[in-house]
Amino acid sequence: MITKEDIRSLLEDALPLVNLDSEFLFSELDSLEVTTILMMLSEKYDIVLEAEDATPKNLKTLESLAALVEKKLGEKE
Amino acid sequence: MNTLEDFLKRDASLYPDKIAIFCQGNRLTYAQLYGLVCSRSSEFLPFKGKAVVFPNTQDADFIITYLAIHMAGAVAVPLEKDCPEDRFLHIQKEVSDTTFEDAIADILFTTGTTGKSKGVMIGHQAILADGENLIEAQGFNNDTTFIISGPMNHIGCLSKIFPVIMCGATLYILEGMKDINAFFDAISWAEGKVATFLVPASIHMLLFYGSKKLRQLAHKIDFIETGAAPITHTDMSKLCEMLPTTRLYNTYASTETGIIATYNYNDGRCTEGCLGKAMKNSRFFITEKGTIACQGQTLMSGYFGEEEMTRKVLRDNTLYSSDLGNIDDEGMLHILGREDDVINTGGFKVAPSEVESVALERPEISDCICIAAPHPIIGTVLKLLIVSDGDIDKKGIARYLQSKLESYKVPFFYEKVECIHRTFNGKIDRKFYR
Repeated sequence: MITKEDIRSLLEDALPLVNLDSEFLFSELDSLEVTTILMMLSEKYDIVLEAEDATPKNLKTLESLAALVEKKLGEKE
Repeated sequence: MNTLEDFLKRDASLYPDKIAIFCQGNRLTYAQLYGLVCSRSSEFLPFKGKAVVFPNTQDADFIITYLAIHMAGAVAVPLEKDCPEDRFLHIQKEVSDTTFEDAIADILFTTGTTGKSKGVMIGHQAILADGENLIEAQGFNNDTTFIISGPMNHIGCLSKIFPVIMCGATLYILEGMKDINAFFDAISWAEGKVATFLVPASIHMLLFYGSKKLRQLAHKIDFIETGAAPITHTDMSKLCEMLPTTRLYNTYASTETGIIATYNYNDGRCTEGCLGKAMKNSRFFITEKGTIACQGQTLMSGYFGEEEMTRKVLRDNTLYSSDLGNIDDEGMLHILGREDDVINTGGFKVAPSEVESVALERPEISDCICIAAPHPIIGTVLKLLIVSDGDIDKKGIARYLQSKLESYKVPFFYEKVECIHRTFNGKIDRKFYR
């Protein structure tokens, strides 16, 4: 199971200025930070992410990102 | 037709019901836009010959204000959306006492090589020459819907407003590229074909997680221009493969030179670093030092309040840039890099000394250097190397810099180091860090 801590340890070095504990993560990000998150998740977990995955809901918190990864991994199986 | 506003007046008469601007679900026809610009211009009449400083709100109101200032005979000084208040007031104070000649339309603030921002004065003639260059070289026309997703106070996006109005085309304004689905919605919204300007980092982003939708909408994309920073050959090739019938331009332009040259790299050759031939109103040549020099009607009128600095780069109707380049046998321009210390991050140019001088105001920082660091998406980001006796508070330093500088000047990465390398005469050894 992917946890928010797994996501945090993956992202904290690449996004040192982002408050990863925010309840409204998406609103704190700019376009390049959104891309950085999706690209790092895609590489780490070998999942394909598309435009429809880049929603404010999926990027709301570290938990919602963990859930997105879980869902994508489930679709692969 | 001597000004952009003359074209707007013509558009309002020829295409009164045509959509001029679409933004956040609201549409403005050319008749409505012209009416709003005329009524807003009365507010600026007391500023005739004076400069009016205003922030980029990235919406229709920004364009109304911009055109209304011109119509009133004043000079438009658009600043960043997130411009710190101190800086806004400082610029306002700096420009407020000067009376400008009629020919000056805008002052655009840009990074100078010395670390101090410079106000680039642009004339009405240069605006129309830029617009004409783009119409002729890239094919803007009356049916174009142009999607703007970058900051409109910068020449890259501001210059696209010119051909749109000169053609009576439609402008679709986006706040940015954060919501990639809003970008695709903009393409779908247009009745005909669309065109857009994207910095290389945005293209990289689209290729990574927008490729499926981009392929679906390929038939609707007339052309995409990029510029402001180098685009990788891998991304150029991928975009050509994905959009086989779209014209894909790489353009040479800067605030000082205006829009000079453009190259459609979807030509079967996809030549990296090529910026094409000079446009209608422009010429270029390579100096003995290997730098690119430009001539023609698109050049700036000078730096505001910096006559000596102006003479250094603008002599005999020639603008001497700091870009290194060459010209091939076909007369196409190729860019090879820069000869100064300016760092290009995501299409924004930053003088590292400006960042360092603000960072040094922090008591815990005894020495620092701002350098370029690689990033998988942006390409190049800023990194601040810091000498300090104690631990460094990365977020605290970043917040401080953000309160003093535009956000694109705030470094992405921070690292504590033992010392900063200096040359024998005590200057920061920037070459050591390249």
